[in-house]
Formats: sequence, C-alpha cells, structure tokens
Amino acid sequence: MKQTFANLSPFHVSPKRVDIMPQDYELATNSEKESMVETRKSISYWRDAWRRFKKNTVSMGALFLFILLFLFAFIGPYFIPYNYENQYRNSQKLSPFTYSEKELKVKSVEKNFSTFWSSTMQSGSMTSLPEGKYYIKNKGRTYYFTNNSMLSDGIIAVNSKWDNPVISIKESDITDGVIERSSVVTLDNPTPNEISNYSKLNTLSRVFPHMFGTDSSGRDIMARTMYGARVSIIIGIVAALIVLIIGSIYGAISGLVGGVVDFGMMRIVELIYSIPEVLIVLLLQVVLKDPLQAWFDSGSTAFSRAMSDLGTGIVSIFITFALLYWVGMARIVRGQVLQLKKQEFVTAANALGASKARIIKRHLLPNCVGQLVIQTCLQIPSAIFLESFLSFLGLGVSAPMASLGSLCSDALATITIYPFRLTCPAVVLTLIVLSLNLIGDGLRDALDPRLKK
Amino acid sequence: MIWYIIKRIGFAILTVLVVITIVFFLMNAIPGSPFLTEKSTPQQIELANIKYGLDKPLLVQLKNYIVNYLKGDFGTSLKMQEGAPVRDIIFRQGKFALSIKLGLISLALAVIIGIPIGCISAYKRGTWIDGLLRVVSTIGVAVPTFVLASELLITFAVNRTWFPVNSGSLTSFKSYVLPVLSLSFYYLCSIAKRTRTSMLDAINQDYIRTAKAKGVKTRWIIIKHALRNSLVPVVTYLGPVLAGIITGSLVVESTFGIPGLGRYFVQSILNRDYPIIMATTVILAVLVIFTNLLVDIAYKIIDPRINISSSEEI
Repeated sequence: MKQTFANLSPFHVSPKRVDIMPQDYELATNSEKESMVETRKSISYWRDAWRRFKKNTVSMGALFLFILLFLFAFIGPYFIPYNYENQYRNSQKLSPFTYSEKELKVKSVEKNFSTFWSSTMQSGSMTSLPEGKYYIKNKGRTYYFTNNSMLSDGIIAVNSKWDNPVISIKESDITDGVIERSSVVTLDNPTPNEISNYSKLNTLSRVFPHMFGTDSSGRDIMARTMYGARVSIIIGIVAALIVLIIGSIYGAISGLVGGVVDFGMMRIVELIYSIPEVLIVLLLQVVLKDPLQAWFDSGSTAFSRAMSDLGTGIVSIFITFALLYWVGMARIVRGQVLQLKKQEFVTAANALGASKARIIKRHLLPNCVGQLVIQTCLQIPSAIFLESFLSFLGLGVSAPMASLGSLCSDALATITIYPFRLTCPAVVLTLIVLSLNLIGDGLRDALDPRLKK
Repeated sequence: MIWYIIKRIGFAILTVLVVITIVFFLMNAIPGSPFLTEKSTPQQIELANIKYGLDKPLLVQLKNYIVNYLKGDFGTSLKMQEGAPVRDIIFRQGKFALSIKLGLISLALAVIIGIPIGCISAYKRGTWIDGLLRVVSTIGVAVPTFVLASELLITFAVNRTWFPVNSGSLTSFKSYVLPVLSLSFYYLCSIAKRTRTSMLDAINQDYIRTAKAKGVKTRWIIIKHALRNSLVPVVTYLGPVLAGIITGSLVVESTFGIPGLGRYFVQSILNRDYPIIMATTVILAVLVIFTNLLVDIAYKIIDPRINISSSEEI
C-alpha cells in the first residue's frame, strides 16, 4: 500500500542518524542543475483529455462515424441534385439505387452533352419550359435563343463541338439510350440593349440514382433523410444547450448559496424529477399547439417569425426541455459545486482574499466543465429519441418539415410494400444515437479519469 | 425508517397533487370551451359551464377537480365514446388490465434476462462473449422502440408468418412474443449494461479478494457476493424502466394493434379528447410515482448505509 511506503521516505529517518556537516556539501555543476529542470512540457486539461480520448478506439470510431453522419446531413444535400420537398415527376415509388425511366433518358444525353434543362429533373409545377428568351453559358461562350413554343417532356442540351450547338430533344425521341431525333435551336444575336430580356438557364446537375428510393409522391428519400438528420441533430443540440444553460445555472446557484435556498430549490428539483415527463410532454404538445400557432400568426417580431419557421412541434419540444429536462443537469452541477466547495484550493483562494466571482470563474467552473460536456453530449441522443417518439405519435415536426422520426413514422403506412422507406431513416437515426452515446462514454473516460475502471 | 417511509409517501402524494394541478392548468390553457360546437349558442355554453361548475373561480374548480379525481371521477369522454364516464372506459373495458399485463411481463423479461447477461459479460470480461454482448446491448439502446417494433412486425409477422400481425387482446402465447420483445429489448440491454458496470465495480472490492483468498470458487463469488452488492444501482433503475415501459407501450400497442390503455391514449391525443388524455396522464403518472416510491423504500431496505433523504447527498 502507498501509506506503508510513505513511511520509508528519508524525511522520516530519525535526526540522530543524520550526521552531515556543511563541508559535506558541494556545488552542483550546471549539467546537474539542468537535469533537474522539468523538461516535459506541461499538458493542458483538454490536451490531456484528447490524448486519452484518442487512445480509446471505440470512441474514436464513434467520433469518425458521427463526423460522417454530420457531413451526410449538412454537406450531403449539396452533392445530390434532389431537394427534400420537391416531388419529382415520374419518379414515384422507386426502389433504392434506381433511376426512373425518364431519368435514364436524361442520363443517356449526359454522355455527349451538357444538359441545361430537362422537364424530368424539374419538380412540382415547373415541368415545362415556358415560351421566352433564354441564354446559356457554356465553356466561356454564351448562346442566346428564343423558345417559340412551350416545351414539355424535353431536354435542352449543348454540344460545344457543333456550329449551332444548342439542341432540344424530346424525351419520347430517346429509346434505349439512343437519341433518334433532335432539333437544333436557332440562336439569336441580340443587341446589347436586348440582352436584358433574356433569362439564364443553368447547367443541371448530373442525374443521380435515388440511393434510398423515392416515396409515393416522388420525393427523394435520401434528400429527405439528409434533411431529417439535419433537423434531428439541430433539435438534439439546441435541446441539450437549453438543458445545459438552465440546469447549470440552477444547480450552481443552489450549490453555492446553500442553506434554506438550496433545500427549497432541491425539493423543486425532486418534484419535477418524480413527474413522469413523457406524459406531460405529450400533454404539452397537445395543449401548446393552438396557443403557439396563435402567437406565430399574431407575432411580428423577428423572434416569433423565426419560431414560426420552426413550427409548433419543435418549439413545444424546446419548451418541454426547458420545463422538465434540466433537473438531471441541475443535480449533477449542484453535486459538483458542493464537492468542489470543500476542496482545499477553494479554501486557499478564499483565504487569499479572492472574490466570489473569481472563485467561480477560476476554480469552480473549470473543474465542472468535464461533467457539463459529458452530460450535454449524452443529452443530445435523448432529445433526438424524444423527438422521434413524438413524431411517431404524429406530434413532433409538422408537415413541410421532416425529421428522422417523422420520416420513420411516414414510412410505417406503406411498410409492408416498401420496407426500405423505414429502414433508411431508421438506420441513420440509430447510427446517430449510437455514435453520440459512444462519444459520450468516451468523453466520460477521457474527461473524468477518476471514474475510469 | 418509519419516518423515512412516511416522508416519502407524503412527498409522493405531493407529487401527485402537483401533477393533477399541472394537468388542470394545461387543460384550462386550451383555447375555446369544451362545449363549443358549430350549433351551440352562448347561452347554451353558459348553461353547460354552470352545470359542470366551470363558471366558478379557477381555484375552486381546481379543488373540485382534485376531489373528483380522488373520488375516482375522471369526467366523461367528449368525442371517442361520447358521454361515457372515462373511469368505465379505462377500467371496465379491460384496457388498464391489458396494459399492466403487457408491461409487467416486459419488465420481468428485462430483469430476468438483463441481469444474468450483465453478470456473464462481467464474468467473461475481455472475451469474445463479453464483446458480443456489449455490442448487442450498445446497439440495443440506440434503436427507438417504434423502429424495433415495426421491423419485428415486418420480419416475423408479415414476411414469415410466424406470429400474428395483429396481437389483439393477447389471448395466445404467440401473440405475446413480438410486443413483449419490442417493449423490453431497450431496457433489457440497458439493465445488462448497468449490471456489467456495477458488477465490475463490485469485483474490485476488498471483500471479493478476501473471498478469493479463502478459496471460494469464482462462480460462487459472483453469485453470492458480487451480484448482491451490484444489484443496488440496478434496483434504483427500475423506476425509470417502468416509466419507459409505459411510454413504450404507447408505441408497441399502436404497432401491434393491442387495444390497451397506451393505444387508447394515443388515439385520444389524436382525437383531442381532453378528459381522456387528462385522466390517462394522471393514472399513469400515479403509477410511476408510486413505483418510484416502492423502489426508493426497497433501496433503503437493501442498503441501509445510503441516506437518500439527506439533502447533502451528492
């Protein structure tokens, strides 16, 4: 044991046996002095924690997975030509990794041309090119032309090798990937004054398979999953931040002030803690819907407009987190503060005349940070879970928006015929929650090494 | 000890009152009168208000409301079974019993399988068995109940008709399998994880080393010494597990078509039948609060060293 060895240290040798005269000492040489200097650089708390985190293979894997999912959700939409809310014509009910028949036609055009407009790749009502004047910029050259009749079921493409390169192809003229007929578009030569009459046609992104298939109204499920993952991650992070702010302030006040205030505040926490929150959450979702909607409709401030963009479902999730879910965090912070308050370094700082604000800032807060980070990280998946649960019951995110939960619950209606519609968002949801759980566990080991077994 | 129990019971009753109060004010926060229909005139609404005591001050209403709830009068359904007393709907039509049965079986399964799995995992620490069990339980706590329930339904009831698609009133053994599995899996995994952690904690204690030094067999040490002491954190977890199983039952009963309280609750939410929503919330809340109370008392009995009531507890 450590204590037994401590008794053997030279300071405990009785003075009688120490018999050293001043002449027994000699000056240390420079090299001897240098060898005593601590050469290892001191490592900051975060660097030390990161070093421990890096050693943990599982957590690093989870971090990597989460970064991938994060990129999928936030960067992914820029790489696929589909939008989460657009209903693509003739692309309904596709299986994963497929193109619709018409998309295959556009794809066959892509080989030799750069495509600028295709009715198939447009969404909703924008399915035909109205009459009018258009211009196309391709490889440094600009082509002006007039579309004389409304063009539907067609493709406008450019082949820069030709003399008159802009062509329009009817989709019905493409069979088995071969363009059987195409018409050359007569180019205009507008004077500088007339140029402003022309509107631009942009290059279409390349045809991309519907990786996760499409739903019954022709919306691309991968685009929707990306969007839903984004909404879910944001809900998780915001809810966790709400919990962090309210919980840590409440807990810190309770722990610092102590006495009657602490007693009262902790009874309130206990009370909220023993209320089964999910039931109240459901009730709140039902009850808050109409008042929130009324507030959104009447609201003219920037805040209420921003809230109105989120919709009643998400806002009431945030409200319930602010009302009910902060108690766990408050308990932990209070526990930390109470524990730290008794530590010698706080007593020392107090004795040296440090102000209360300085003690909180310099001593209490930095020592709590580890716990706060861990708890916040673990709060995110629980918020995502709750949101998906509410969406399943039809209470979470409302119609134009989508979250992973609402995508899963939408998929349930057709699950017997199209099981992948559930599988895709469900797998993403599970992976997000899984990776965040594992990151949280890793952070716990890294930031609080005392707890490590 | 007696004082402790009395204090806890008092606190539980206080919590129930708070829940009822919250529910009451939330109900009042809903805009519009419950008697408002297309045909009703202001006079009719006023008469109905007087009849149901809604013209009195809020606090008097709250008092009446609490007294009614304590008497077991939960009001009458507005939409789903118009005019029928909510108490009859919940208790007489077998909904409550069905949900309780499903919940208790799931709870039992989670405990009976979860704890041994945690023990095996800790006992075989570092082997492939431990690795496998940990991977399964880690993934298990990341899958939402409704996803698991739907996937089980598709795989084992639709694609391979091993089990009925609609479990109905749970009359046969087969109809239990899928609902119970999907309801308990999350908590089974979660309990296994907790047991493993606290078991590893216990294994490092001095008394285990003493037992080992005395030559007691490892397996016997686990059962006799380590398990007993590692169960305390697992027992405290049972309160949240029950709350979670009730929540899960909303999903599972809807997915498997079980006409229990959970499914009815979901339907009443979608139908905005407020008295039913309120009554169900309060009943389920009371259930959870009193289970927590029992767990707390059991906890105190298992491990008298721990002073839960102290406010200085960290």
